Amino acid sequence: MPQYMLLLHSDPANWRNLSPEEMQKATEKYMAWSKKPFTRDSHRLAEDVGRVIRSEHGKPRATDGPYSETKEILGGYYTIEAASYDEAVKLSLEHPHLEVGGTIEVRQVWGS
Amino acid sequence: MTAFPETGALLEHLFRHQAGRMVAHLTRLLGPGNLSLAEETVQEAMLRALQTWPYQGLPENPAAWLFRVAHNVAIDAVRRNQVLGEKTDAIVAELTRASIVVPNHPDVEEQLRDDELRMIFMCCHPEISRDASVALSLKTVGGFSVREIARAFLADDATIAQRLVRARRQIREQRLTLEMPGGGELNERLDSVLEVLYFMFNKGYAAHEGEELIRQDLCMEALRLGRLVAASSIAEPRVHALVALMAFQAARLPARVDEAGDLILLEDQDRGRWDPRLTGLGFHHFDRSMSGDGVSEYHVQAAIAATHARASVSASRDWPLILYLYDQLLAINPSPVVALNRAVAVAKVHGPAEALAVIAPLENDPKLRDYYLLLAVRGHLLMELGRRSEAAASFHAALKCPCSEPERRFLRRKLGDCGPLS
Repeated sequence: MPQYMLLLHSDPANWRNLSPEEMQKATEKYMAWSKKPFTRDSHRLAEDVGRVIRSEHGKPRATDGPYSETKEILGGYYTIEAASYDEAVKLSLEHPHLEVGGTIEVRQVWGS
Repeated sequence: MTAFPETGALLEHLFRHQAGRMVAHLTRLLGPGNLSLAEETVQEAMLRALQTWPYQGLPENPAAWLFRVAHNVAIDAVRRNQVLGEKTDAIVAELTRASIVVPNHPDVEEQLRDDELRMIFMCCHPEISRDASVALSLKTVGGFSVREIARAFLADDATIAQRLVRARRQIREQRLTLEMPGGGELNERLDSVLEVLYFMFNKGYAAHEGEELIRQDLCMEALRLGRLVAASSIAEPRVHALVALMAFQAARLPARVDEAGDLILLEDQDRGRWDPRLTGLGFHHFDRSMSGDGVSEYHVQAAIAATHARASVSASRDWPLILYLYDQLLAINPSPVVALNRAVAVAKVHGPAEALAVIAPLENDPKLRDYYLLLAVRGHLLMELGRRSEAAASFHAALKCPCSEPERRFLRRKLGDCGPLS
């Protein structure tokens, strides 16, 4: 079955005002989604946005993030299985990440 | 909400309860002047759990995970901000040593309970106003957010946030400490703690539309903190009396409204819906409140609540005993609200006419002006005497007083019972 990567972007500021109770509820919802049968793999990325390496005037150079205008950072990713791209999108629509103003990028893993 | 089988792994209110203990624990290490740093640190630890657990699964010991991360966050913050000046190194060392704490270990549990207890006692310092004490206790030990506290207080977020800022500033400027006061001062502080807890409980217990859940949480938090004090070495009999009172009252919470959210009077409540565990807890603490000679207001109120709880059906309630207890309560606390409650017992024992005579002088009491319950009780007594149009007038007047939507519906129902008016 084709595999898809879901890249979860969010603005950490969205979480700042949540109470412990609300954070627990959100954590539970996220965890429940992570355990769905179509999930193959999931990874969390360190919150340090890290460094970007690009070539400047022919020389590779590492610069500190953030490397885009948006305040959203890539927090983690899932690999899921779905019959089609449309189905992958449909499954992602139910992810609680969207309830807290996050963004999910859905990409097919080529060759899977 | 959908049932998530995985959520069973997370205890109910785990984050909220751990938040309170972690804030108390870190405040001891960082010093009360850095209370907000402790709070921010705990917030950050929870945030990291939220960002990590969904991807990596639940850690083996979630509470220990939160504590470890909170310590690391605190160490980073202390190093980075240098807010603690020359004390930085010592505090970092202390945090590092403490970072291996494993909640659930008996010694650690005891230390954490002690931290929480000291925190409550600091929050209830007489330098801090009572409203602020309640808000601060809920925020720091209770793990409630500003928004949740605002909802419970029916206030706006900014008001509560300001109240908290002021309270934290007072802690800093008055150099309040987590030291337990000694001697007579301890007794006074204990009274103020009990007052704050009872105030918190009543804030949650007052019937209001919507927000039912957050208010029940408030009651349960007051009860939890009360039990924490009751379990400590400084527990006086009156602490047990207050815990008993809160437990008896909390037991009735599920029976207090019907499916439509309408109020049901104590007399008409389905006792089958009273929470037997809480009633049991109430009797346990009520028994323990009996040691010693002192009789506090909580004792008498708990005794009244116990009498209600003991009766298996409402008809079997021992009203003469309840009236006797109200007489005692009125002697300890001669407030018009107590006098009004006593009038209900008078009606049961001596009839509605005598009760009406008892409440007559209350009608001129400025403290009860705009108090809908006085007019509601008056209307009820007049109804029992068959004076329908006067009863209707009373309920009408009650409806003009400030009261919540369920209370309003209750009054309208009563008004309807008065029948068509000529």
